[in-house]
Amino acid sequence: MFERNEKTIFVLDHTRYFSISSEQYISMDYLKGKPMPAETPAAGSSVGTQLSKSLWTCAVESSIEYCRIVWDLFPGRKHVRFIVSDTAAHIVNTWSPSTQNMSHVSNAMMMVSVPSRSIPQSSDYSVIHGLRAAIEALAEPTDEQLQAAQVGCKKISNEGRVICITSARDNTSMKSLEDIFNTVLLQQNALVGPPGKKGLSIDHCHLVILNIVPLGVESLVTNRSLLEISPLLDVEIHTVHAPNISDKLLHLIMGHYDLASTTVTNIPMKEEQNANSSANYDVEILHARAAHTKVCGPDFTLTTSIKPGTSYETVTLKWCTPRGCGSSDLQPCVGQYNVTPVDVTSRPSSCLINFLLNGRSVLLEVPRKTGTKTTSHMLSARGGEIFVHSLSIARSAMDEAPSITDGPGGRVADYRIPELGQLLKMSRMVPLKAKPKGKMSQGEHLWRRLPRYFPRTMNVTILFNLQRQLSWLPHFLHLLVKEDMDKQDEVRCQQQIHELYKSASRGDMLPFTNTNNTRPKMSKTKDQYRLFYRELEQLIQLNVQTVHHKNLLESLQSLRAAYGDVTNKSEPGAAHLRSYTESPLSPERLEPNSTSSSSNSLLKASKRRMSSSGQRSLLDMISSAERSQSSKRLDFTGRLCTPIGQTAKLYPDFGNKDKDILTPGVIPSNLKDDSIRS
Amino acid sequence: MPTIIALDASLSMLRPVPGRNEHTYISLAIKGIQHLLDNLTASGKLEHLALVVYTTVCELKVDFTRDYDQIRQAIKKIEPLDKACLMTMLKTSVSLMATWGTQNLLQLVVFTDCGPGFGSTSLAAFLEGYTGKEADPEYAWLKLLAAYHLNFICLGMHGDLYFTRGVTLHQQLLDNAALKGQLFMTKPTKGAEAGEVTTSGSHKSELGRTALFELIERLCESSYKSTEVTLKCGHYFRMEGQVLLWPPTVPYEQAPLYGGEPIVRHIEQRIDVCGFLSLSDIGSPATLSRHWVLAKVDREKPTRRSGGLAAVAKPAKLTLDTSNPHYELEKLEQDVRDFYMKDNKDAEESGDDGDVSVVLKHSSTPQTEQQKDTLCVLLHGALKLENMAALVLLGERWYGFMYAYNDSKKKSNFMLNVLPPGSNVIPWLGDLELLGFPEDVPPGESASFPVRSERRSYSQSSVVWIRQASLQSDVQKVLRHAKKMPDKTQHFYKELNRIRRAALALGFVELLEALALLIEKETAQLTLNGVGSECTLQLQHAATELRKTSNRDIKSTIVPLQKASAADSTSSAAPPTSAGSYLY
Repeated sequence: MFERNEKTIFVLDHTRYFSISSEQYISMDYLKGKPMPAETPAAGSSVGTQLSKSLWTCAVESSIEYCRIVWDLFPGRKHVRFIVSDTAAHIVNTWSPSTQNMSHVSNAMMMVSVPSRSIPQSSDYSVIHGLRAAIEALAEPTDEQLQAAQVGCKKISNEGRVICITSARDNTSMKSLEDIFNTVLLQQNALVGPPGKKGLSIDHCHLVILNIVPLGVESLVTNRSLLEISPLLDVEIHTVHAPNISDKLLHLIMGHYDLASTTVTNIPMKEEQNANSSANYDVEILHARAAHTKVCGPDFTLTTSIKPGTSYETVTLKWCTPRGCGSSDLQPCVGQYNVTPVDVTSRPSSCLINFLLNGRSVLLEVPRKTGTKTTSHMLSARGGEIFVHSLSIARSAMDEAPSITDGPGGRVADYRIPELGQLLKMSRMVPLKAKPKGKMSQGEHLWRRLPRYFPRTMNVTILFNLQRQLSWLPHFLHLLVKEDMDKQDEVRCQQQIHELYKSASRGDMLPFTNTNNTRPKMSKTKDQYRLFYRELEQLIQLNVQTVHHKNLLESLQSLRAAYGDVTNKSEPGAAHLRSYTESPLSPERLEPNSTSSSSNSLLKASKRRMSSSGQRSLLDMISSAERSQSSKRLDFTGRLCTPIGQTAKLYPDFGNKDKDILTPGVIPSNLKDDSIRS
Repeated sequence: MPTIIALDASLSMLRPVPGRNEHTYISLAIKGIQHLLDNLTASGKLEHLALVVYTTVCELKVDFTRDYDQIRQAIKKIEPLDKACLMTMLKTSVSLMATWGTQNLLQLVVFTDCGPGFGSTSLAAFLEGYTGKEADPEYAWLKLLAAYHLNFICLGMHGDLYFTRGVTLHQQLLDNAALKGQLFMTKPTKGAEAGEVTTSGSHKSELGRTALFELIERLCESSYKSTEVTLKCGHYFRMEGQVLLWPPTVPYEQAPLYGGEPIVRHIEQRIDVCGFLSLSDIGSPATLSRHWVLAKVDREKPTRRSGGLAAVAKPAKLTLDTSNPHYELEKLEQDVRDFYMKDNKDAEESGDDGDVSVVLKHSSTPQTEQQKDTLCVLLHGALKLENMAALVLLGERWYGFMYAYNDSKKKSNFMLNVLPPGSNVIPWLGDLELLGFPEDVPPGESASFPVRSERRSYSQSSVVWIRQASLQSDVQKVLRHAKKMPDKTQHFYKELNRIRRAALALGFVELLEALALLIEKETAQLTLNGVGSECTLQLQHAATELRKTSNRDIKSTIVPLQKASAADSTSSAAPPTSAGSYLY
């Protein structure tokens, strides 16, 4: 669960020896067109325009480069710490993520600076302090390990690697360094024992000692490959000349993190001087080895080569000039891995990086034996990070797919695809910082937004077919499905339902257009209204949230009954009666311009006939209709909202009277987006 | 699932099947292959099949294809000869399968009478040679074979010793070489003991067409069944439906977070659509597997075959079940459909009594599969239209996404990409559990893709001086700015401070002195060339500041000399901005 490379600690020797020069000189003179005479005011300075890094600078820059690669490739997952050792150990950073970054480390290193040359040689100055501290640091848990402990994990594995950059006189002193480290390691684990419980016990430690000397100096310390000192400790020793530490660490890091190198070749770049021609460059990048192995199959391997001056293998892949291949084009990708350039500051590297960071992606080609080319990888940047994608290059069973139009449902022509498309756009997801309040399951969160009634095709719906023709319909449907329908909405809906009834009784045709060659004939008027009512009823039924919805449902059911359609619902007849006689649907109020009061009363009459067992005379009906029409009582609205058996509160909306009597009929018709949510 | 159908064409296959005079083993095997093809055709002709015939040699008769007729034709022309050598066939299969890589599930269906082979090429001889030499490179191909699924259709009778011995050897091969495989055999009939079957010609033996077909059906059930799940995209019942995933999903072995046995995970029976993302936001993330999403068609249900005029009278009622919770809605849909249809009819034959003609028309053209609307096609269409993908939940913290996939031939399909389990699998989308809708974004905040990562070394101006050239080019840059000083004052100091900070971090104090020296040289040269005093003053100031040990502090920054710009402002062109307030 926790791998060895999760915790790495650099111990940097900060004793006097490290202030000496690496003896590799960098010339600054070439910068000038003509070299200046030698007697320039360089008095007192031995530097001249040539300069050399100290051993310390070499050690710091190469170890920082090591963690640059680690943090680029495994952000937040692999941790590197620094400990500087002179008279004591100085902790540069901790396992905490806030200190696991380049700027923290380099700022801290600024305060350390190069060891002073003036301090006397003394046994107080030693790398041992740092090694001790490193073992303590290994025992400290990382955030991930703490988390494991919190979830109740009993045995938290804890391994690590210590890379010590120091300089020893000979093999004997190296041996004693090893021995001390081993002893301290055992002591540390003893401390962790049950009584003390200080930190985590260390399961295994890999100690890498880099013994560095200036260029031209031979060391008495012999190189030694990995050796098991104890079950807890493996040690390897490398002697390197100071200018070569970076190469050495680059070589080591490949094994430490199982990395692989890819050289992108044939990258065309324009020269600043002559913009017409372009030269080809190579850029070497690093990434997890899996990026290579994932694409390899039984009949396919990537060929590797060793670049001059390096000691590891690299896979050369050819840049494919991107042709209309945006990063949105979905590639069959089997693995994606962070990458980082080996030489982050070189011009070719930064050209490639900027090309990618600007949103373009690059396919990489592998030359195959047969001469055909295969794109095996893709480079692309997202969110400021560059990834290499391993593409599936083998033949896929998914190739040569039969088209979906040949499958089930493929020949249906009138799917409501544009409407669903609108819904998709409205339910496009965005990244949040915290889980939204009241969010249950992922699916439920979406479904609550989607319409509860959504016929899949046009030929099974009347409502959605008429949306474009009836300008009031979209808004009406929108009001109907409002979760928080209020009194005012209800009144408007009631009015629309009533209008609909009027046009039905006039025998008006519903304005169907030519959807799949359908144009109903006049004789089907009755059918269309019946279906219209039925669909409306279903729609409301699926959306019942408030008492207002219930009221609408009831009126609609009565209307259907009035129209001679059978209601399947066994609603008590009394409820119908009441909802109509006492509802605020009084004609005078809702339809000030209405002249067809007779049709209104007839409507009500027919309602009654259906709801109350039909044993009444015409006179009864008309007189009761007249009664209800003449009674302009707004005060009974409260009853609708009051459960049966309780007393209705009178004048609940008394203060809001003005609001209630808003002139109806002002219905916006451009509400397509809303209506499809119904 | 690319499949090689391997047919044993040894001479022993020419034997007549005991008790079945009409069949030889080979003719039975051919019937079996045909039945397999029939079954795979019925499930959509999705599998790529190849046909090989093996004796001492193994011959590829039909290369991988979805055109099953090629195989039907080829099996008619097979002439048995020679002896069977199973190992040759298996080895050839490995090389034939190579093009499919490791991402596909590979299958082998072998039709054989389980002959053990003869001499050096026999199974027994192979097992003898193999035991103890598993790691030998000679047997490396068996490792590849171990990834395949081997299905043996064993043609033979339990009473037949020759057959049972062969079967045992086949099983030994699977066990010893650690191959995944299954032997399909007929069940022994009651009382069909050894000898009895072979003699009694009148009795039907346990091996026959029906028995064989059962084996094939068992094979299809175990190895060729698509994963069937419910896709749910909302509360409305039409936005939910049974779908098939092909190729079938494979269980995912998830390493536990903190030690212990790996957990084998399957996708849930119901996969929920959680929301929609634009394809350009998703990019090309690593996926475990890809599957086609196909609407499931109910074949089991008896279609309107009830026949008779009574049934024809009310066709709608027949298909609708009143106990169905969605009866009302389904009936409404049916009625609306009829309503539109009726109009069509009327338009054609004006004046007829609608009801009767509708009914007739309806029953005479029952809806075919392709004409029945499905959720898959609707969702596919909308996703394609908007260039979006649907994020789906496959299990606890396990996601995938569905989208319209266009192949090179512009054929479009509905595809599911299964992501690796976990909610943080696509770095640029962030935690998938934290995705929400625009309304969920707190007021004043904005949310959009991609989720930006911390800056990596390549996206900030990092300083790495491991190669001399990069150090030299950084120094060169400062000097370049120095030459164009009054205009580039700010750039000069910015670069100067960048180098200075890097040098301090690396303990590279030698560079500070060297840089001061270079600046002084530059000053001298510029003075010779008669460049304005502003520039030289600034350079001298910079060199002095670089040398000051008090400036070797993390907080200190070298700022431009203010007096110089003030004094010089009359003679030279005024610097673009007041340098005094600029901090680097």
